[in-house]
Amino acid sequence: MSPELEKCSRSLLVCEKSNFTKEKSRYDIHVSKHYFNYKVSIVIPECASLPASIAGVINSFNSYYRVRDLPIYKLLEEEFLEKVVKKGQFYALSYNTRIDEDNTIAFLPSGQLILSVDKDTYEQLGLEGKPSQYKHRKVLRYVVTIDLTDKLMSPGAKRYQRLITSLKEWVPIKCDLMISSKMTAAEEDGGVLQNLLSQYSFEEHRPTLHTHTLKEMPCPSLHSTDRHGDEKSCDPHHFLEWLGAVSMDISSDNEASSFLSTYVCPDPQSLMSHGLLCTVTGFLIPEDIYSLLLELRRYFDEPKFTSWLSMTVHGFVDSPVSWGTTEHGFLKSGENFYNFVCFRNQDYWLHMATGSHDGCPP
Amino acid sequence: METDVKSKLPSEHADVLGVQSQGTKQAELFTSSFLKRSLPHARGSLDDQLLRKAVVLEYNNPKKVKAKRKKAKGLNARERRELKVFQIKPEHHRYSLFLPLHELWKQYIRDLCNGLKPESNPQTIQQKFLKADLHGAVLTVVRSRCPTYVGSTGILVQEMKHVFKIITKEDKLKVIPKRNSVFSVEIDGFVSHIYGSKFELRSSERSAKKFKARGTIDL
Repeated sequence: MSPELEKCSRSLLVCEKSNFTKEKSRYDIHVSKHYFNYKVSIVIPECASLPASIAGVINSFNSYYRVRDLPIYKLLEEEFLEKVVKKGQFYALSYNTRIDEDNTIAFLPSGQLILSVDKDTYEQLGLEGKPSQYKHRKVLRYVVTIDLTDKLMSPGAKRYQRLITSLKEWVPIKCDLMISSKMTAAEEDGGVLQNLLSQYSFEEHRPTLHTHTLKEMPCPSLHSTDRHGDEKSCDPHHFLEWLGAVSMDISSDNEASSFLSTYVCPDPQSLMSHGLLCTVTGFLIPEDIYSLLLELRRYFDEPKFTSWLSMTVHGFVDSPVSWGTTEHGFLKSGENFYNFVCFRNQDYWLHMATGSHDGCPP
Repeated sequence: METDVKSKLPSEHADVLGVQSQGTKQAELFTSSFLKRSLPHARGSLDDQLLRKAVVLEYNNPKKVKAKRKKAKGLNARERRELKVFQIKPEHHRYSLFLPLHELWKQYIRDLCNGLKPESNPQTIQQKFLKADLHGAVLTVVRSRCPTYVGSTGILVQEMKHVFKIITKEDKLKVIPKRNSVFSVEIDGFVSHIYGSKFELRSSERSAKKFKARGTIDL
């Protein structure tokens, strides 16, 4: 086969089945490594309204700030670096920048700064970086990864000075940022962040919550012991398709008279009288999502009509990383999401999906 | 006629003159050698030259002995490298030593451009710059395909065909290749960017080179 044909765009889906109570299950690592999350959508069949406990957890989600035109070197100044960035749990992502066109900046909670820049900016920046993995003939994109917790990057060192000079004088990068920092009241660092933000125009946002009740629609009946390829069980692709149709409010009746959608509910199915679709959008951090997942596991402590519920977490389409430091790009779509299906007996199914310009999910 | 010349002198005349005439053969040899020496260019045989020609016999061309002049060949590259003519010794690696050179260069450029006024047309300055000598200018690397070169600043000490040698404020001699880099030269508020890839010529050859106008240049 000719080499051009071999390199066609592909999307990946990784499926995992395990139990929450097993020690070896790595669901918590998968959740915590997916740093930048945009939307969480929960589908609970046979549920009329959002349970109070889940609503309570969602209300306690961390609020995030959106700053306009913040010069990046301000976040690398000595005081801010020591007190906020290096303490961990500092997330920042540039807003309104496209990953395949503009310069994108991300601060990871592990103390790393990722700059995904185009060729001209890279040549002027003067910082060492690697060419992007997703290139065609010429390299048009470079990724600069800087470990701020490194000893060589401590304030006063030559490399730190060069980084500051580069971002201050040679290429002053300014962008809109979304910042989320889980600072507890006990730590005084919050003051530093507020000080910095008050010099620029910023807004504080809370994650928005939408609830929608689904009425009288077929839904697949899933059993935790279903095996892939079994005739009776539901294929992950079809299940995820149905989930997507439900969250987009697309009818999956497949009537002969309707030309809009041919999505169908996968077999085996049962009719549910009502169901709940709940969506939370915003700049969500993995810690909050983990607490939501724990709360959803506790949903089955009381007997319920349904045997399963599903939670889908979508990542930012324009984020430079997907899981951990795996590089993420945008070809036809920049999807990177994962989906939990939790069962009554604490079993779970985990599906992780990525688009074409992305590494394989862990 | 020849026989008359070569014939013997009559004995009476020989006694009066005090000359002894030689024999026929000796006389022949003597005559031919005398004629050869006297004639300006001895081309071909003597008979052709002398037949029906008048020759001035006193015209004697002293043959100059040319002293053999040795041409100065010049050193080739290997000898130059051995003699280290172009190397600057480490004790001379001091920024302060080259500051007077920089002042000289500024003067030279100002004279070249007839005094750099703020109203001067950048185009004319650019044309002059292309032919100017840059030794002593303060160069800064603004863009480069290799990120570590970006930001190097210093006074240009030597310009070779492919490389700039600059001395930085920290008294370091840096060698920066011209290819795939953009340098900036600043004088009196005029900043010029030099695309090194197009500048890979010896400074002496650059004054004769015609540069094409290009829209944009990608590194």
